[in-house]
Parts: sequence; structure tokens; C-alpha cells
Amino acid sequence: MTTIIIGNSAAGLAAVKSFRKYNQTDELILISKEGGLAYSRVLLPYVLREKLPYEGLFIREKAFYEENKVTYIEKEVKMVDDVNKAVVLTDETKISFDKLILATGSFAVAPPIEGIKQEGIYHMWTKADVDALLPLFATKKKMAVLGSGFVALQGAWAAKTRGLDVTVIELMDRIMPSVLDVKGATILTEKIKETGVVLKTGTVTERFEKLEDGTFKIVLKDQEPVYADFIVVGTGVRCNIGMLEGSGIACDRAVLVNENMETNVAGIYAAGDVAAGPTTFGDVHKVHVLWPTAVEMGEIAGANAAGKKLEYRGSLNMNVTQMYDATVASMGLFNENDIDGSREMPVGEGYLKVCYKDEKVVGVCLVGDSESVSLFGKLRPIIRKGEVIDCEPEKLEQYVNRKAFQTAKR
Amino acid sequence: MKTVTIDPKKCVGCRNCEMSCAYAQTGEDCIRTHANIRVNNYSDDRFVLPMTCFHCEEAWCMNVCPANAISRNGETGAVMIDQTKCAGCKMCILACPFGNIHFDHVALVSRKCDLCGGDPQCVKHCIAEALNFEEIDDLAERKRIGIDERVKMLAKKQ
Repeated sequence: MTTIIIGNSAAGLAAVKSFRKYNQTDELILISKEGGLAYSRVLLPYVLREKLPYEGLFIREKAFYEENKVTYIEKEVKMVDDVNKAVVLTDETKISFDKLILATGSFAVAPPIEGIKQEGIYHMWTKADVDALLPLFATKKKMAVLGSGFVALQGAWAAKTRGLDVTVIELMDRIMPSVLDVKGATILTEKIKETGVVLKTGTVTERFEKLEDGTFKIVLKDQEPVYADFIVVGTGVRCNIGMLEGSGIACDRAVLVNENMETNVAGIYAAGDVAAGPTTFGDVHKVHVLWPTAVEMGEIAGANAAGKKLEYRGSLNMNVTQMYDATVASMGLFNENDIDGSREMPVGEGYLKVCYKDEKVVGVCLVGDSESVSLFGKLRPIIRKGEVIDCEPEKLEQYVNRKAFQTAKR
Repeated sequence: MKTVTIDPKKCVGCRNCEMSCAYAQTGEDCIRTHANIRVNNYSDDRFVLPMTCFHCEEAWCMNVCPANAISRNGETGAVMIDQTKCAGCKMCILACPFGNIHFDHVALVSRKCDLCGGDPQCVKHCIAEALNFEEIDDLAERKRIGIDERVKMLAKKQ
């Protein structure tokens, strides 16, 4: 029996470990388009910020593949033949499989703006992107960022920390809708501005013009143009499903998987950014593009491919990072339309909101200090189980502390 | 493996464990916030609860760490953070269901109990025998040793 894993990041690596936990004998092949040692996308902004040395990006040593008896192929998969159970590489090599795990991840996309595809305009999504950006961070003076999501704002913070002048341009009238509620976003916006980063929300970018000296003029609608030496585009990602074209694997912008991470084709699984699976809140197919979700999905896919039936309890979105001198984190549901009510917890100067729906805690969001993050951890199992919290909101912290202790002792 | 077990019934809330941990970690001070063990104090209910890492068998912090900075020590079985690899992203703090990982505000990375290399100072300095360093073979064993009726009762009372 041969199992092939396509992808060498969070989901693929977790799948390897989980597969080998349940199956030490079958052949395991891992194929990676990027090649080289596995690196962590989460760490890219930390390397740009010089918080972590470049070598810190790499999260597995060569020995990992040997210890787990993984044949590592550094090539690109062109096509998946789900009928004959084989993958075809771009060099036309054909490799047969009995089980396949798609952990192909996602790629950064740019909006259709004139001049956006040219030298000097980058994404911040892969190691190759950061390899290109590192020398610019060291030598250039002005950076512009298009988009204000989690990645874009971390990139802007990294550049500001390194002493660059930074302008962030956002089409929407607020930042980070998928990570913070309106109030949290407003607080973070103030913090961003305090650091000297110029943040232009509600701003339409009309085109990118390259000037004679190689720098850029960014033409904005009804506003003065912005000038920058280079530009980072952080406006979202899409699933890597190109190799599935023509196959019978059901996709809807992502690979659709059930609670075993199995696709509609028996023996073919998907996990991580590329997969749309069940969530804590009852969604059947949802893509997260989050590291923890990818790890969890990879574990489930690896186990099932190895013959151990494991069911996913559903993904629970969680984000956390340190930027603009604040810990920014969120989990679950926190936008007003998704919740019945919320309560702000007293945490010094920070902002910590716990959100309720049907008397259950369904989400948290934070712009504050790192100690508050431990409340997230303690609430995570409670949110996942959908437990009703039978205590007064002001006693929530005590309640979860005790709950955590009980769980530990069980 | 041996780990630190907690019996809140015996804890008197003296916070010696926090101070001895802080000293073991820093080598120079006994400041409570530098400790990896934390005593939660609920004076309304006359109840104190020391909490420190359980070195879980399926350590979610270890699995989720995006820097692969968390591993299990082969000798002591302790789940350890390699602070040179840690980027300070705090995902482990978010992952720990027990709130037992803390942020080091000097090094700007995460930190947690490392069992003091097999000689936990918190246990040594516990005056009430609430903390013990003992063999835990499996979860069933832990259950037998650890179930604390008072905790259950109090949680229900709320």
C-alpha cells in the first residue's frame, strides 16, 4: 500500500506524524512543489521583523523524513488521476497511490488593478516572497501595503519596526474583518496610527505606476497619490486546486471533505488551507487558512489514510499575534451579526470581549495583553463542546479556571 | 513519567511554589509573575488552586506550535519550550486548555514549567504537601489520584 501526501507544511507534516502513529509499515511519499526543508508560514513576518533569525523559519530537519520513513519528492504535481489512482508530476512521472492526502495549501492573489503585476510588487505568503522582501526591508525606505488583513498588517508592522515608512491602503472602511470585531478593529486602528504607519481605509486604488527611478506612484481615487519604493499585496488567498482540474474530486473553490477529511472519492483526503470541512458551529464545508486548523485536519486525514477511523470534531477558528505593541487574538464568532450578546472583561488597558449565543460562549476577541490569551485556551474546549455556561458573566474567569482543573483531573 | 500533581484541598495559598519557581527560573528574584506555576485565589469561596503544566500526553501546544519549538524531553518527559526557536506568536498560550503557558515579557517568548530538569522546586518548597512529584502512568491513574470533589462541588454551586 502506498500513501501520497502532497504538501509539506502544517497539514502535510501533521498527516505524516499521525499516519505513522497508526501505520509504521506502508510506503509514505511526500511531494512538495516548493521543495527544501519544511518552513512555517506563520513565522514569515517574525523573520521580516528580525524577531527570529532566518534559520528559525525551518521547522523540520532532514531526519524527520528519515525517521518517519517518508520518501520526499521535490516536484510539482500537475494532475491527479482519481480513477486510476495516480498523480502525474510536471515532468510527466506517474506515481500510483492507494491513499492520497491533498495538503496543497493556498496561494496569494492580487485584485485586478492596473499595474499590479510587475517587478517591485510582492506578496508575503511564501518563503520565496520573504527571500525577495528581506533585502528590500534592509535597503529601502518606503513601503506600501495593499490590504489590511492579518498578514498585511503584520507585514506593515515588521517594516515599521525596521524603520521604513509604511502606508497601508485598504478598500474597506475597516481593518481585519475576519479577525476582529468593529470595536477591536477601531482600537487597533488607533494603535497602528500611533506607531506612525499611515493607514488609509475606504480607499480605492486605481493603478500602480512605475516611475523612471524604479519606485512607484500609487494612484488613488479622490486622494493624493502614495509613493513607495516597493509594494506588498496582502489581499487574500485561494486554494491550490489547479491539479484537480478534470478529476472527479468534488471542489467548490476548495476541496470538499467530510468529518474524516475524506473527499467524495474514497481513499482521497484533503486537509489544511485547501480543504473545506466541518466547523464547531455546524458549517459543513468551510475553509479556514489557519495553522491550527491545518494541523488538526492533517492529523485526522493522516489517521484515516492509515486505516484508523478518526472523526474531526470541527474546526474552531483562532488567530493570535503580537503587533503594534498589542496582543491581537480572536476565536470563534465575534461579529455582531453572529452573536446574541457580548461582555467586555476588565483587563487593564486592553480590550477583551467574550461573545454569547444561546447562553453559550461562542467567541472571544482581544486587543490587549498576552495574559488574556490564556482565557482563550481555557474557553476553547467549552466553545467546542457547545457547553452552556451556568455562571454569572463576571464569574466567567473563575468558572473556566475550575473547569480547566476538573478537565485535567478527569 | 513523574509529574507535579496538585491537591487543592491541601493548598493553603502560601505561594511559596510561585516564589520558588520564579527563583528557579530567573536565578535572581522571587517575583510571582516570573513563575510558571500560578496560584489562583478565590477568596469568596475560601478556595485556592495552584496550576502548573500537566505535560499532557497529547500536548496540543506541542502539536500546534508553528515554530516546532516545543518538544518532549526524553529523560524527564517534560514538555519543553526551546526559547531560541520560539517566535513569541503565543499560539501555545491560546492552545493550552489549562492556562499553563505564560509569556516572558523580557525575552518576548513563551515559557512554561520544565519540571526543573526532574527536581521541581515548587514541590520541594510546598509547605502543605499540596504539590507532589509522582509517577503517573496513565490517565486512569491520574483520575484516581486527582479527582477533587470540592472543585466539582464548587463548580456546580456557581
